[in-house]
Amino acid sequence: MTFDPAILADYWPLFLQGAWLTVRICAVAFIVGYSIGILVALAALVPSRIVRALVGAYVGLLRSVPFIIILFLVYYGLPFAGIRFPAYVTGTLALALFASAYYAEIVRGAILSLPRGQFESARTVGMSPLQAMRHVVFPQILRGLVPPSVNMTLTMIKESAVLSSITVAELTYQSLVVQGNTFAPFEAFAAVTLIYWAITVVVARLAAILEARTGTAEREDVERNALAASFLTLEAPKRR
Amino acid sequence: MTFQFATLLSVMPALSQAALVNLRLAAIIVVLAVLGGTLLTILRAMKIRPVNAAIAVLISFIRGTPLLIQIFLFFYVAPAFGLDLGPETAGVTAIALNSSIFITEMMRGGLQSIPPGQIEAGCALALPRRVIWRSIVLPQLFRRILPALVGEITIVVKGTALLSVITVVDVLRTAQQIASSTYRPFETLVGAALCFLAINLAVMAAGRLIESRGADARS
Repeated sequence: MTFDPAILADYWPLFLQGAWLTVRICAVAFIVGYSIGILVALAALVPSRIVRALVGAYVGLLRSVPFIIILFLVYYGLPFAGIRFPAYVTGTLALALFASAYYAEIVRGAILSLPRGQFESARTVGMSPLQAMRHVVFPQILRGLVPPSVNMTLTMIKESAVLSSITVAELTYQSLVVQGNTFAPFEAFAAVTLIYWAITVVVARLAAILEARTGTAEREDVERNALAASFLTLEAPKRR
Repeated sequence: MTFQFATLLSVMPALSQAALVNLRLAAIIVVLAVLGGTLLTILRAMKIRPVNAAIAVLISFIRGTPLLIQIFLFFYVAPAFGLDLGPETAGVTAIALNSSIFITEMMRGGLQSIPPGQIEAGCALALPRRVIWRSIVLPQLFRRILPALVGEITIVVKGTALLSVITVVDVLRTAQQIASSTYRPFETLVGAALCFLAINLAVMAAGRLIESRGADARS
């Protein structure tokens, strides 16, 4: 089995176009998905049983059904309801819906982890609701918010590969096109694999910088003696 | 167009039959992944530098690329290297490898919460390494990662739907075959979604049951 670099030389514009579409779709799905997620999380805090049951059903359904089925449901469901979008819009919408359920759980968890009465206390000392959110609630929930949100966003980027199955011309689709044209699966899939890897590594790096800036980075390195560490830690000790 | 409940009802027998394929594959994957994840964890704890460096690259790779692409690698690329597994085996291998990596990372987090004194006590009693793992560390570790493990199992169940893309005749592919003859894709897909919902609700209920049993055992 040999690696033929000529295939990459011929087809790199396709990979580039695919990667660019993947990035754009994920950026839009992140913004739309997070906005829906925040709304759903706030709705879950409303003291109405019906609203909470609806929110529970929304989150539960989206989280227990595979994304590929959610995608097909939206893809066939929209025309069913008389709405027609191009495939990439449908795909972005499905991705945003899928991610919104997870973002909603993250936001709700972060808000619930806040000790009771913080918001009310801030209001009592004369802050406006907006000030109370901005200066008291938000800084405290940030630590519980950022790391899981980053994780979910990385998951969402990876799930976007499934959009290839409704003919959205993103990265995975292009790899299937190249594979179909050249009958060289190794070259085609090695290239996209590396591009995905690069995208997720860059996003994770940027997120780590953000976490360091906002002081939300998770600390894991508990000091241990060598004996216990030989079972309970999995990384070799850092050389100083 | 209106939603035809009659269509949904008529496709359910065929779909639930196909759901057994997803259930069987998911069960095999979970067993392989728990075994693989545990072995990887024990291997990583030995701290052999080159081995851990190789595993670190594998972890970054598996966590940084889509599961669908990993399935493609085993299905399309492996045969080019003389490893022709067929769709089911290729898919099961890909998802099991992916899940093992997530499970060993879960275990890395879980190990942090095991009191180091217990290991020291075990060593003081001159227990062999194997016994410390089997009788002290692993039972507590599994209890601690159980909630996360249940989540991972539902992810595996959902992952089996991707195998339809590499021609495994599972719920989704069966749904697509039915829809191509009845022209009612929406109702049929709702049926497929219900199958996954049922499996995952059962998985989560079983997880809660085991968790509460575990809580009883400790109190």
